Amino acid sequence: MSQNKILNNSGKVDPSINDISEEADKLQNIVDSRLSLTPDNADSGLAKLVLTLIELIRKLVEKQAMRRVDGGSLSDEEIERLGESLMKLEMKMEELKKYFKLTDRDLNINLGPLGDLM
Amino acid sequence: MSELIYVIVSNKDTTENFEEILSETTGIDDSKLVVVPCDNISAIVSQVEKADIVKDQRNALVFAQTVENLSRWSTLLPMRFGSVLGSSDLVWEMLSKNYSELEKNLQMVKDKSEFGVKVFGNAEELKVKLKANSEEFQNSLNDHSGTESESNFKKYVKQKLALYRLDELLNDYIELVIADFNGYLNDLRVHKKVRKKTTGTTIIDGVFLLKNDKQTELIQAVELLESKHPELNFILTGPWPPYSFVDITLK
Repeated sequence: MSQNKILNNSGKVDPSINDISEEADKLQNIVDSRLSLTPDNADSGLAKLVLTLIELIRKLVEKQAMRRVDGGSLSDEEIERLGESLMKLEMKMEELKKYFKLTDRDLNINLGPLGDLM
Repeated sequence: MSELIYVIVSNKDTTENFEEILSETTGIDDSKLVVVPCDNISAIVSQVEKADIVKDQRNALVFAQTVENLSRWSTLLPMRFGSVLGSSDLVWEMLSKNYSELEKNLQMVKDKSEFGVKVFGNAEELKVKLKANSEEFQNSLNDHSGTESESNFKKYVKQKLALYRLDELLNDYIELVIADFNGYLNDLRVHKKVRKKTTGTTIIDGVFLLKNDKQTELIQAVELLESKHPELNFILTGPWPPYSFVDITLK
């Protein structure tokens, strides 16, 4: 970005650093998040895609569950069972990520103009 | 050779010396810019080897620079980099098929420019501050503080609930900043697209389309917002061609 395009900068931000590093991160994320399928890595390529979707759904479920807990509509027993389910889901995800050598960053794909998935 | 389309302009809105400007402006590989007219609108194109364009990413920068140079002299619709058609007849056909949509969009962006506002703030640091300042949050933590006899599952839910509430606090705070900004922009009649993010360092990423002569008011609005939220950092950029406000699916 050329300097003359900056009309206002609160002075605490060096755009040449922040913007560029953030954009570079985004580009790197786009490259990293591409599904790379070759005969040798078909398993892990597909696993990344599938686990990304599962992780997204798991987080949505968790958020909705917390909304209900926060709203006070669940009994103690229901909260207990919810906790057990969510904890087991999270542990299973960790297991799968470890098995396929994937990190949280790998599962956060970039959706271009829409930003990161999670 | 193919025709690379840079922009679509309205013939009614170009300045008198636009032809002269065109002759002085070049496209990718210093190619000559040519007008392909269709009734009241025109495409500005240059001849290129299609395969050559995508090979070199520097071409994208030259393309953007050409679009920006032209935007100083005319209301325009910027085309996506790599919009190539086989001949000027095909360009004319594209203009003709999409005429009403192109004209409608040109009318929408007439005498307007795009401006970008990015608001930076470390989401995690903000959460810590918000947490400390929120009495309600502190009370809710006390209400849900775990006891020794509680099961691990219940403690797990409480931890997750605390994180959820922190996210909600940050979300509410960002909504408040956006509402403040909208309040300052009320009189400017802007088109806007604002995205909020609750992770990373950019918490608000907005683009605004407004009349060219309203730039000073926008700067003032950002300054007001800065003074109200000194904990955040702001960058206002522009004027840009209306990249984010052209809404056409070309036939």
